[in-house]
Amino acid sequence: MAMKPVYIIDGKRSPHAKAGTDLKDVDAPFLGAYLVRHMMDNTSIPYNEVDEVIFGNTGTPAKYPNISRVIALEAGLDKKTSAYSVHRNCASGMEAVSQAFMKIASGRCDVIIAGGVESMSQMPLIYNKEMTELFVNVMKSRTVSDKLKAVSSFRPPFLSPIIAIEQGLTDPFCGLNMGQTAEVLAREFGLTREQQDEYANKSHHKAIAATEAGKFDDEILPLLYGEKLSKILSKDVGPRGNSTVEGLGKMKPYFEKRSGTVTVGNSCPITDGGSALMFASEEAVEKYNLKPIAKMIDFHFHGLEPERMGMGPLLAMDGVFKRTGLGVNDMDLFEINEAFAAQLMAVTEASNDAEIAKRFGLESALGEISEEKLNVNGGAIALGHPVGSTGSRLIVTLMHELKRRKAKYGVASLCIGGGQGGACIIENLIK
Amino acid sequence: MESKKISFEIEENIAYLGFGYNCDKSMTTLDEETLQELSDRLDELHKDKSLKGVIFWSHKDRCFLAGADINLISSMKTESDGAHGAEAGQTIFNKIEDLKVPTVAAVHGVCLGGGLELSLACKAIVASDDKGTMLGLPEVKLGLIPGFGGTYRLPRKIGLPKSLDVILTGKMLKPKKAKRLGLVAGVYPKERIKKMAIFHFSGDEKKGGIKESLESMASDNFFAKKIIFQKARESVLKKTKGFYQAPLKILDVMEAGIMKGRSSYLSAESQAFGELCVSEQSKNLQHIFFMTETAKKYNGPESSGNLPKLKKGAALGAGTMGGGIAWLMASNNMSPIMKDLSTEALELGFKQSSSNFMGAVKRKRMTRDEFERKQRSIQGQLGYEGFKRVDLVIEAIVENMNIKKSVFTELEGEVRDDCLITSNTSSLSVQEMSTALTKPERFAGLHFFNPVHMMPLVEIITHDKVAPETLEALYNWCMKAKKTPVIVKDGPGFLVNRILMPFMNEAGFLLEEGVPMKDIDDACLNFGMPMGPCRLLDEVGIDVGEKVAKIIHDGLGDRVKGSPFSSKLVEKNFLGKKNGKGFYVYDKRGKVEGPNEEVQAMLPKDKKKMDETEIQMRVFLPMINEAATVLADGIVNSAAEVDLGLIFGIGFPPFRGGLLRYADSEGLDRLVKAMEDRATSVDKDRYTPCEYLMNLVADKKKFYDV
Repeated sequence: MAMKPVYIIDGKRSPHAKAGTDLKDVDAPFLGAYLVRHMMDNTSIPYNEVDEVIFGNTGTPAKYPNISRVIALEAGLDKKTSAYSVHRNCASGMEAVSQAFMKIASGRCDVIIAGGVESMSQMPLIYNKEMTELFVNVMKSRTVSDKLKAVSSFRPPFLSPIIAIEQGLTDPFCGLNMGQTAEVLAREFGLTREQQDEYANKSHHKAIAATEAGKFDDEILPLLYGEKLSKILSKDVGPRGNSTVEGLGKMKPYFEKRSGTVTVGNSCPITDGGSALMFASEEAVEKYNLKPIAKMIDFHFHGLEPERMGMGPLLAMDGVFKRTGLGVNDMDLFEINEAFAAQLMAVTEASNDAEIAKRFGLESALGEISEEKLNVNGGAIALGHPVGSTGSRLIVTLMHELKRRKAKYGVASLCIGGGQGGACIIENLIK
Repeated sequence: MESKKISFEIEENIAYLGFGYNCDKSMTTLDEETLQELSDRLDELHKDKSLKGVIFWSHKDRCFLAGADINLISSMKTESDGAHGAEAGQTIFNKIEDLKVPTVAAVHGVCLGGGLELSLACKAIVASDDKGTMLGLPEVKLGLIPGFGGTYRLPRKIGLPKSLDVILTGKMLKPKKAKRLGLVAGVYPKERIKKMAIFHFSGDEKKGGIKESLESMASDNFFAKKIIFQKARESVLKKTKGFYQAPLKILDVMEAGIMKGRSSYLSAESQAFGELCVSEQSKNLQHIFFMTETAKKYNGPESSGNLPKLKKGAALGAGTMGGGIAWLMASNNMSPIMKDLSTEALELGFKQSSSNFMGAVKRKRMTRDEFERKQRSIQGQLGYEGFKRVDLVIEAIVENMNIKKSVFTELEGEVRDDCLITSNTSSLSVQEMSTALTKPERFAGLHFFNPVHMMPLVEIITHDKVAPETLEALYNWCMKAKKTPVIVKDGPGFLVNRILMPFMNEAGFLLEEGVPMKDIDDACLNFGMPMGPCRLLDEVGIDVGEKVAKIIHDGLGDRVKGSPFSSKLVEKNFLGKKNGKGFYVYDKRGKVEGPNEEVQAMLPKDKKKMDETEIQMRVFLPMINEAATVLADGIVNSAAEVDLGLIFGIGFPPFRGGLLRYADSEGLDRLVKAMEDRATSVDKDRYTPCEYLMNLVADKKKFYDV
């Protein structure tokens, strides 16, 4: 089937804020709806001409089971607008984007808004199984004595909650926490604590430099927050200008307390944030006189063993290069998620080492990913990782940096909890 | 008998009486014809032995019964006319109450005044859960007492304390609230109320829980009632400052009626209705009602009717005013853009809109979710992104002609050709501003009063090139946003500020003559003004007042020269409430702490004792004179528009019916004489009556005769 070109008209993101800080009270849909409204307002596309709204979200707040539909309506789109939500763990935002791509490339749709939102501050504590059962029994019982009997089965440990976020970050198949999978890579690749801390420190300084130079001004849309919704957040809360390798060195390993090397400092922090992109077909571009910033070339998702999920980008990039016939050397920029310093370092090492690459099932090495092209404005270690949003956030950031550099191709890629990787190539159209 | 105004069917021995039958108007009132037909029909029903029940309903989608016909009330000439009218209604409603079979009012849409009194005569009321369904006895707002048995039956239905609250405030009750009060027996979807009404034939004896019975035990004895009335009276006096007779009269009737039976109670009620309905005060309030009704329809230059649709809005300039405007737009689902030059300024605007919304959240008029949605529908930004979508821009930036002009030029490059552009200027010439636009026909002044959410008035200011379609679209938009628009011609101070200026100027002169500040403010408060002039200047900002005063003085000459006293305060940085010090001192939350002693020290040491009426004369005569010149200059076309502007713009006491209605009632010849006296004794420029006024007197005409 011949694929039609898919244009990216605009892409925006919210400022990121470490969970529990400035954006803690902002419900997940509101991290995305205002982006959609703003992007729509910048075009002449009628509010009833958006074919699909697709958002990635992993927390799925009980109040918003289909968060995309809420976003579509809160953004002022017509009530007839179709909307659905997708979940591919850390790559949910990229999954949303990929679906937008497929639907436009196949000629099925003309205008789609896709992205991701995540309020990690608002991930709940859940009653454990015993307590839930008790509630069910109380509700089922008809007579007072039955009720009393049900209630009397209560034991204090019933109140120990399941922390949704902790459980979500633990792989149900291999039983390892995400941080522990990073420890696996650190061990196997011989990555020292100092190397990881150095990498993390650079991420902070790159992010701060980019913020101070106003490089994020085009991609961040300021967001209202605070109890009275009267304060405006325009910058990320997370990157630290005063970060030092020594400072990072003082932190204790979090996932393997004694022998470990992965700390909270050289991992990405849990964060609140949202991102969105507007996609259009060639026909829509002409019809509404749109000015695309970029073209989406293709994407690829790939699985691997869950305990080495951090190597996902290696396989995903390999896949997307094969699909497109492009290679590492064609890329002007790499935006690869920094879930853990160790994980990203392992990916770059494997990319340039045929032997390791083969171990992960690649035919040959991808080539060298030079430091000058990789995460030039810092990555998730500084900016944070709002899980459902990061997949699309990377593309937003990549698109704006390609545009600033008047460069051509860029790839956004990330590892996915559960043992997958995703990658997506875009081409800048602003020369 | 034939059905003309009330439809009539009998189904399974139940009689259905439908109001709003054969009626073109959206609102059905109890006019003479309807009342007569209702009376005859009830006589017939009284004879029908097979009857099992009666249900009242309405054919209209928005109205059950909007009350007695106000034209009927305003045509009453004497007290006994009024009393007889009320009695006639009472007699008919007694017939409903006296029916041996169950009676239910199935209310959908507004059910006000006489409509609710009719429903109260039924054994039960059921209501639809529709947004438009509201119940209330608003008579007090027209200076009246509910005269068809409302004060008699409501306390018997919901208890004394709650009914006093409903009757004395004239508030509207939504169905759910009405059910909680016990007024309504059941709330159902509108499609089902007629059916569900039958289930209430057995009466609504379900008399609540322990709380209700405790409440009724506590309030249902003679002494408790005495105390309740005493408290109610105190609260009425506090709220109305004793200016309004109707609530006091209502209290008299209800208190005296505690021990009375139906007939003697009702005759006291109708008597009171008769007295009130011909009173000056009620006539004034009715006058305002009619003025507002007239103002609901666009009355400006005739347009093609092909109006731009105003769906998305933008406020240029945040701050308190811009934030207030953004709030108004967001409230009306216009997802406005609010643009300013800095994030700090935007935050000020958001603070304003948030606090306006929060007020509604606190009063439970809005849920937290709705607040979040509306507040977030305002997009704050520094650039012009998205302005191509905007249909209405309201500019509220700094009051500087050159800056405004350059902003308009810039703005025109950012918006569509059919986008309406307006300026919220309070003092600058709209005519001159219009020259900055290449398409001036889509431009007009749109002057809101501060604070936007409290003040209903909006002045729509015209200029040479404005298109009638622009004016009509703005007018309709204001109405939709529940504001009261007045179309005014461009001129210094437009309508309201121009007439208000002498009010504040004279205060300055009086102060310098040695009249104590408290005496001046008190005299105006006792006249019924919501604030004295010194307090008002603090509110407006003394520097702003001075600036506007200068513009008006420059434009209109020495007749409106300002007192130099304001400038002295501005020099010392006493700017009013905004910086905590003006004529008065304010605490952090903006509450008056007391007079500013430093200002007092600047005033003459020898205090002058001036009669309260003399102070009022000194303040209001120049206002009346200025209002006459406003009419002479054609700023607005009628005295009614002047009065509407002052009542809704600055809170001129409604019971006086407006400044010019007040002047008419005082006698223009007498007022002109009083002006002439003061032209010699005080100041020739400020007090010489204008030609328009002299002509009126010469022709023996009143303002409202023109």
